[in-house]
Amino acid sequence: MLTVQGLEAGYRGSRVLNGIDLEVAEGGIAALLGRNGMGKTTLMRALMGLVPVAAGRIVFQGRDIAGLRPYAISNLGIAYVPQGREIFADFTVEENLKLGLVGKPGGAGTDPASAYRHFPILAERRGQKAGTLSGGQQQQLAIARALVGRPRLLLLDEPSEGIQPSIVLQIAEILRRVAAEDGLTVLLVEQNVEIVLSLAADCAFIEKGRVVARHAAAELARDRDILHRYLAV
Amino acid sequence: MEQLFILTLDASNFILAIVLVAMGLVIIFGLMNVINMAHGELFLLGAYTVVLVERAGGHFWFGLLLAPLVVGLVGLVVEELVVRHVYHRFLDTILATWGLSIAIKQAVVIAFGPASHTVTNPIATSIEIFGTPYPVYRLFIMAVALLVIAVTFWLFFRTAFGLAARGVIANRDMAACLGINTRRLDRATFAYGAALAGLAGAVMAPIMSVDPQMGLGFLIPAFLAILVGGAGHLAGPLLGAAAIGGTDTLAANLWSPVVAQIVVFTMAIVVIRLFPRGLAGRWFGR
Amino acid sequence: MTGRSPSPLLLINLAVWGVLALAPLGLGAWQVGQLAQYFTYGLFAMSLALVWGHCGLLCFGQAVFFGIGGYAMSLVTLGMIPGLEAAPSSYLGILFAVLLPAGFANLLGRFLFYGKGLQGAYFAIVTLAIAVVAERLAINWTYIGGLNGLMNVPPMTLGLLGGGAEIWDSMPVYYLTLTLVFAVYLLLEALTRSRYGIVLRAIRDNQERTGYFGYDTAGYKLTAFTIGAGVAGLAGAVFVTQFNFASPPLIGFTLSTEVLIWVALGGRTMLLAAFLGAILVRSMENVLSETLGNYWLLALGLLFVLSVVLFPRGLIGEIIHRLTAPRRGVVGRNAKPP
Repeated sequence: MLTVQGLEAGYRGSRVLNGIDLEVAEGGIAALLGRNGMGKTTLMRALMGLVPVAAGRIVFQGRDIAGLRPYAISNLGIAYVPQGREIFADFTVEENLKLGLVGKPGGAGTDPASAYRHFPILAERRGQKAGTLSGGQQQQLAIARALVGRPRLLLLDEPSEGIQPSIVLQIAEILRRVAAEDGLTVLLVEQNVEIVLSLAADCAFIEKGRVVARHAAAELARDRDILHRYLAV
Repeated sequence: MEQLFILTLDASNFILAIVLVAMGLVIIFGLMNVINMAHGELFLLGAYTVVLVERAGGHFWFGLLLAPLVVGLVGLVVEELVVRHVYHRFLDTILATWGLSIAIKQAVVIAFGPASHTVTNPIATSIEIFGTPYPVYRLFIMAVALLVIAVTFWLFFRTAFGLAARGVIANRDMAACLGINTRRLDRATFAYGAALAGLAGAVMAPIMSVDPQMGLGFLIPAFLAILVGGAGHLAGPLLGAAAIGGTDTLAANLWSPVVAQIVVFTMAIVVIRLFPRGLAGRWFGR
Repeated sequence: MTGRSPSPLLLINLAVWGVLALAPLGLGAWQVGQLAQYFTYGLFAMSLALVWGHCGLLCFGQAVFFGIGGYAMSLVTLGMIPGLEAAPSSYLGILFAVLLPAGFANLLGRFLFYGKGLQGAYFAIVTLAIAVVAERLAINWTYIGGLNGLMNVPPMTLGLLGGGAEIWDSMPVYYLTLTLVFAVYLLLEALTRSRYGIVLRAIRDNQERTGYFGYDTAGYKLTAFTIGAGVAGLAGAVFVTQFNFASPPLIGFTLSTEVLIWVALGGRTMLLAAFLGAILVRSMENVLSETLGNYWLLALGLLFVLSVVLFPRGLIGEIIHRLTAPRRGVVGRNAKPP
């Protein structure tokens, strides 16, 4: 569903991605692993159109989306939950969810209630300012906000960062369910190896702006040395 | 007592006139981070639209309705041709719109001459307030300003457009990632801000001398009002205009208009320096 | 500039200043006088290029310092300063004309830059408001002549305590102004090429990051603002000796925005380009305002917009940049802050 070929991108004066090749199959959860500063977040941002693409192709459902603006990419069916969540702290929970809808064609009239099915805690807190939620709740809100727009592909950057392990497992469970029920594809960047191994089927390792290896999660669970090779500092 | 009431009325009048001009400015500034130095000239174009309509034999009220449409359209063109190219260069938006203001002002001089024009006052009657005659048209201006405030707040806090716009103000990149078309929103917002300036110019025209310099006189108080009040909040211009207009009216009555201007500007500079996020930022939190 | 073969930039400098030094040979007395006046505007433009182009302070009130300088020079040489009536000296006048605006800018800068500090647009609006207030004050202050200003300001004189030979004819005025402008140019060039100048540009490009490296960014901005004001004041002083009057428009908003246009069109990040920008716009105005009439200002406004959008380096700055690009590129890379 997503094919990245020779993707080069970066910020003013410094290139971070040096020719990424990546294939994400339809359905299920794929993970992107690598040490800090290797370009995982930049890749996510480039896929979303937030970082200018210098070279290469990003083909999503048969269409090259490199160079499109973020809103156009979003409306093609890619949703993004950034590192640090970036919820709208001064807005209510409900308004945050509506913001996931207003930009979608015909979305302004849609009820965000569908999101509450997977995330009942958000229904309870619907009138509350999002900034007053706990970290775990904010993460759920960020995911729910991405899902209300009914994306085909979800880019999820460090969902476990700064959240209690028990909540993380809960979120992981919801994610697995949504992916299975709605046929959603997820590309996950995550430091927590246990979460990755429990969620993802397929893992790609990124190093110095390139994808250097791919392994099935089952293989990694058997042979931890591989993980150690790419992730140890 | 009566004098105090009239003084309050005068102050409210001035305050609401500033709000009328500042509202469009703060929307453009808040949403797009663009300091629109040509706002005064959009105001000017609104007034001249009325002049043109009257010259063609049309009625003032028609001009008043036409002005926001015409100036909104001008805003759309200006956004497309100039402003969108400098969004990412913040300080350059000031310069580019400043250049535009020179060009627009000069175009008006070429089309209408440098001399001043008068626009007929459509409600040239007065009513007695505490025994003092007060021009009805001034009350009308205040009503228009209140209406503009109400409509703008409704638009921004009660509609999907407003939600999207506030989302963009809060976090432009994230809003875009949620599928909000920031380009279309920028265009619409700039046009709306310009239309408000045009409306302000048209509605103020009957009580001002309509000449090419009329924009600047309102631009600076309006800017100070949004900086004093806080540019990050729609309530900012209300607070700022109240502070600026109130102080000005008071000082002008106590001393002289010159002293009043100096006092107001100095006060504004001190407030801006001490509370960079403005009074609204200070009182309403973020 | 110490390379074995002369750098393109050095050649451009030699050409520009050489032509200006020889120009009077081919010009009439009136044109020579005009050009000398343009130098004054050019000097003024350089002061803004330092503050805005190198330090990122978009000042909408640079004429305030020009005006203070002009008025200070006028008051001293007209013998209107209490206690100094007996010494209407040009030297003393220049001293006042540099120190007063610099002192004012320093006080203002201390208020505006320290603590939370004022950022970009806020600084622009605040300086704009200051320019409007300053003009209002000048108009209403009878000691400095009110609306009419001060008339009959004498030209430069050589006598130590006033009197002595007057620099009055166009030739001496021309070469005196050129020498002064060139000297200030060399000083400012040296300043902007020094370590100090590098830090200034680092602040312009990213104040926060420069602050993280341990630089006192407010202090750097303050000195640049102060020096810029001093240079603007000097330009104001030269101006009044050339035009023989000082009036409220010198201190106000309109001149402040005019100088912005010169600098933007010339080139904000290059002192030479800003200087030439002032001369260029002034000359064009001289020639074109006759033929184009009202359309001149319209054209200037549109040209300004075009230049801001398409050529942020300015028209002259862009040309110089292209002529010197490869070499400057190398310098630029070495010039990163530590």
